[in-house]
Amino acid sequence: MRVEKTVNFKLNGQPVTVKCPPAYTLLEVLREELHVTGPKEDCAKGECGACTVIKDGVPVCSCLVLVSQAEGSEIITSEGLVKDGKLNPVQEAFLDEGAVQCGHCIPGMIVSASALLMHNPKPTVDEIRTALSGNLCRCTGYSKIITAVQEAAKNRRH
Amino acid sequence: MRSEIDVLTPKSLDEALNILHENQNGVRIVAGGSDVIVQLRDGVIKTDKLLNILSIRELRFVRKEDGRIHIGALATYSDIVHSQLTREHAWPLVEAARQIGAIQLQNTATIGGNLGNASPAGDSLPPLYALDTVVVTRSTAGSREIPIEKFFLAYRKTALKPDELIEQVHFSPLGERDRGAYVKLGLREANAISIVDVATVLRDGSKKDTFAEARVALGAVAPDILRARGCEEALTNKPLNQEILKRAGSLAADDAKPIDDIRGSAQYRKDVVASLVFEALNQALYGKK
Repeated sequence: MRVEKTVNFKLNGQPVTVKCPPAYTLLEVLREELHVTGPKEDCAKGECGACTVIKDGVPVCSCLVLVSQAEGSEIITSEGLVKDGKLNPVQEAFLDEGAVQCGHCIPGMIVSASALLMHNPKPTVDEIRTALSGNLCRCTGYSKIITAVQEAAKNRRH
Repeated sequence: MRSEIDVLTPKSLDEALNILHENQNGVRIVAGGSDVIVQLRDGVIKTDKLLNILSIRELRFVRKEDGRIHIGALATYSDIVHSQLTREHAWPLVEAARQIGAIQLQNTATIGGNLGNASPAGDSLPPLYALDTVVVTRSTAGSREIPIEKFFLAYRKTALKPDELIEQVHFSPLGERDRGAYVKLGLREANAISIVDVATVLRDGSKKDTFAEARVALGAVAPDILRARGCEEALTNKPLNQEILKRAGSLAADDAKPIDDIRGSAQYRKDVVASLVFEALNQALYGKK
């Protein structure tokens, strides 16, 4: 028999209450119940990073979080990085640098890169590579992605 | 069907222990979720009830107490990487935590989960063996202190009873006279399951490069983590030189009982053990090149 429970958390600054099976993943609930489709499901085992969201200030794979484990948390997806219709510096830089090819991995990349800059505003190239090592891009766009994050770090400081 | 699974979320350790007491065999513990959620989706775990212990804040800590380092079961790899205590006194474990997966995994995966999942490729396990760790389990009946080598019984089988959970681990801190290292070979640097990993701890160096105790633990080359006893003996109570370190590598390869699998053949793994043990000992003694 289907089990449902009520879960409360903050999504992109707004409180949400959702009634759903408690063993669903946060990713499934974000996409299928709340229709927030920035995070993607690819590998479903924490290897590709396409589902990355910021949970209580740090990047996590939302495919490896039970929705029950999001109770009381603050969740930010790529959608939530846009403020008053304005893209954040990482999103801007990805466009400016042409760091997007097919685009599928990009919401996860942008969330990971934005989380990096929140904690480390002046990362080295090595630190950027480490921070993005859990995000796979199959269009092999890494070098432009790294440049975009470097540019975003510069622009944030202006 | 995952839609039919209930999830119980206790607020305290006592509440969790009571749930375990009342639901023996009927409930599956989930912490950080990185193994359990995948196994649920793959149908490896079949249960209609999960006990989500991630909410038990009192199990998330890294602290020094009675001269030992204590790590709560719900400490994440990020906690271990960032803790000054583990960086200063358990650096082989910090190195394993750093390499276990990318940042996203380090932020959610817990040390208790790695112990409970009991995979021979669990990256925190060789350093915990090398550090001579004690695992503390808890139930409503009280707690048990189990040396890590007695905690693992067989492939994916632990001494944890159905009404128990892992509370914490503790070990003696590494000090100025001790050396240690962790080295891993995966298919790539981030998010790769180990083909072979090696942790070594050399304690109580009285004269230069002579140690009273040597521990070398091998991951992913046997049904559970393996102490390379012959190799350890060759390293104890004598001045170490490159020749001995090299011989220690081949002795460790003799101890390894690897299998052929998708990540590497048995023979390849044996060869890798010899090189990684040599490399780990060199890193322990002389630092990372």
